[in-house]
Amino acid sequence: MTDVPIQMQQGTANERFRSGGPLFDLLSRGGLAIAILAVLIYGSLASPVFFTAGNFVNVLTSMAIVGIVVVGMTFVLVVGGLADLSVPATIACGAILSLALQPVIGPVPAFAAAIALAGFCGLMSGLLIGYVGINPIVATLGVGTIVLGIVQAAVGGVIVYGTNPDTAALVKSRLFGIPAIVLIFMAVAVVGHFALSRSYWGRWTIATGGNYAAAEASAVPVRAVKAGAFVITGLCAGLSGALLGLTLQSARPLVGTGYEFSAITAVVVGGVSIMGGFGSVPRAIAGLVFVQLLTNVMVLQGVRTPVQGFALGLLIAIAVALDVALRRRAGGAL
Amino acid sequence: MTVLVRLVRYRVAVILGLTLLIASLTVSGFPSVTTLGLGLDRSATIGIIAIGMTVLLIARQIDLSVGSTFALAGITAIMLQPVIGIWPAALAGVLAGAAAGAFNGLLSVVFRVNALVATLATMLIFRSVAHWLTDSQPVPGTDIMLSLALSTVHLEIFTLRSALFVGSILLLHFWLTRTVAGRNLFAVGSNADAAEASGIAPGRTVFLAFVFAGTLAGVAGVLQSLTTNTGSPVFGAELIVTVIAAVVVGGTRIEGGRGSALGTLGGVLTIAALTTAMEFQSVPAYIQQVVVGLILILLVVLDRTVRPGPRTHAAAGVPG
Repeated sequence: MTDVPIQMQQGTANERFRSGGPLFDLLSRGGLAIAILAVLIYGSLASPVFFTAGNFVNVLTSMAIVGIVVVGMTFVLVVGGLADLSVPATIACGAILSLALQPVIGPVPAFAAAIALAGFCGLMSGLLIGYVGINPIVATLGVGTIVLGIVQAAVGGVIVYGTNPDTAALVKSRLFGIPAIVLIFMAVAVVGHFALSRSYWGRWTIATGGNYAAAEASAVPVRAVKAGAFVITGLCAGLSGALLGLTLQSARPLVGTGYEFSAITAVVVGGVSIMGGFGSVPRAIAGLVFVQLLTNVMVLQGVRTPVQGFALGLLIAIAVALDVALRRRAGGAL
Repeated sequence: MTVLVRLVRYRVAVILGLTLLIASLTVSGFPSVTTLGLGLDRSATIGIIAIGMTVLLIARQIDLSVGSTFALAGITAIMLQPVIGIWPAALAGVLAGAAAGAFNGLLSVVFRVNALVATLATMLIFRSVAHWLTDSQPVPGTDIMLSLALSTVHLEIFTLRSALFVGSILLLHFWLTRTVAGRNLFAVGSNADAAEASGIAPGRTVFLAFVFAGTLAGVAGVLQSLTTNTGSPVFGAELIVTVIAAVVVGGTRIEGGRGSALGTLGGVLTIAALTTAMEFQSVPAYIQQVVVGLILILLVVLDRTVRPGPRTHAAAGVPG
C-alpha cells in the first residue's frame, strides 16, 4: 500500500519543516483550535441556547457514539490502512447481538459477546489486509457485506427489540450530570490516546504508517500492527453499536449506515493524514468536536438538512486541500 | 500448477460459467433468452458506471461519489424536461455528470486531495444538492410513454441500456488495449513519476479519467430516470459497493496499473447472474449479500496468492 515515490518525497520534508513562515506555521498547527473557537463565538452570538450546559450535554451525547468509532478509525488511518468501510456492519453486529442475545445469556454476557464478535470481524479484515495484502477498501467492503448478511440471517432479517429495560436505564444514567455514554467515550478516547502516543504498539503503528519498509527493516511486526488497527476499530465499532442498541432498545440491520463516513470525516478534518504515519487521537477528537459543533449551530439556526450536508462535504474538501497546500508550502509533499 | 494458474487467470470466466451452469440446473427457465435479457438489462446500470470506475481504478484513483452523481444527473434530466424539452434535458443531465466528474478531478489533480477523501466529500455534496433541488421529493417526468419506449426489447435480448453497456465495454476494451491513450493510462496508474518522465502528463490523464467516470455515471443516471420517468434524490445510494465489487471481481486492481474491460464485463455479468439466480430461488437479500461478499474476497485472495505472470500490463490484453 505504501509506495516508493511517496516515501522518497517524505525523506526530504524534515529539514525545511518550518520554512512556511509564521502565519502558515500557526495555521497548520492551531487552525482547528481557531476554527472551533470561531464556531463557539458565532454560535453564542447567533443563538441564545447554544452556550448552555444542556446544549453541550446534547452535543456530547450525540458525538459519543461516533466518537468511539473515531478513536478506532484514527489507528486505521495512522497505520496507513486508508479506511475501514466495514464499520456499519460491525456497529450493526454490536447493536443487534447485544439485544438479541439478552434473553439467551443475560445482558452483560450479551454485551461482551457482541463486542467480541465485532472484534472478530475486525480480525478477519485485519488478516486479509495485513497478512494477505489485500487493499483495505476492498477487504473491508467485502467483510462488511458478509458480516451484515450473516448477522441479519442469524436474527431472520427483522428488527430486534430489547427485553431488559434496566440496561437502557443504565446507559442513559448520569454521573455528575454527564451521561454514562459520554463517560465511556471519554475513557475509550483516553485509553486510545495513550495507546497511540505512549505505548510500543502506538509507536509501531506510526512507524508502519510512515514508512512500511523501514519499519519492517527495524523489526517492527508490521503485519500484526496493520491487522491490529482493524481489530481495534472492530472492537470500538462493536462497543459503539452495543451502546447504540441499548440506548435505542431496538436495532435494525442498517443502524450503522453512515457512521463510517462520519468517523472518516472527523479524523480527516482533524488533520490526520490519509497516507498514514501522522496523527493522534486528540487531533481526531478535535475534528469531531468541530464537525459536531458546526452541525449543532446549523441545526439551531434552522439550516435545512441538505444544506448541512453540502456544508459538511465542502468542509472536508477544504480542510484536506488546505492541509495539503500548507504542508507543500512548508516543504513537504502530502 | 499451470492448470491452476490458467484457472486463476480466467477466474472470472470460470466463476461466471459455474454460476450460469448451477443456475440453469437448479432454476427452471433460467437459460431462456428472456431471462438473460432481463438480467442483462438489470446489470446495465451497474455496468455503465463500472466502465468509468474501471478506467479510474487503472489510473490509481477511485470515485465514491458515482452514486450521488447518478442521482444528480437523473434529477437534472427530469427537472429540465418542461423547460427545454426531453432530449436537450437528457443531454444536460449527462453534462451534469461530466461537470461532477470535472469537480472531482479538480479537487484531486489541482488541489491534490486524496481521491478517496475528495470523492467522499463530493459524495456528500452532490447528494445534498440533489436533495436541495428536489426538496427531497421524487420528481415525475413529462412523458410517461418514453419510459415504455426505452424498455422495449430489441433482437429478443437487448434493451437500449444493455446494448449501450455492451457496446461501450467493447469500445473500452479496444481503447485500453489498442490505443496510445489507453496504454498511457496503465503507465500513469502503475507509476505516475515514471510516466511523467516518459512525457505523459499524469495530471491531465487523471483529470480526464474523473470526467469520464462522471460522464458515464451521468449517462446511467439519465437512463435510469428516463426509464422510470422519475428523478429521485435517493437513487443510487447503494450502488458504489456493487460497482466496486463488479470491477474488482473482474480483476482490476484498486492499486492501479492493472485491469481490463472484458474482466469488468465478466464481473458485472457474474454479479448479475448470481443475484438473478438467487432471486429466482427466493434466497433472502441478506444471504445474497453474503454470497457476493464471499466471491469478492475469494477472487481477490486468489489474485494475491497465485500470481499469474508479471504484475503489471499482463492483464491488459487478457480477460480476467
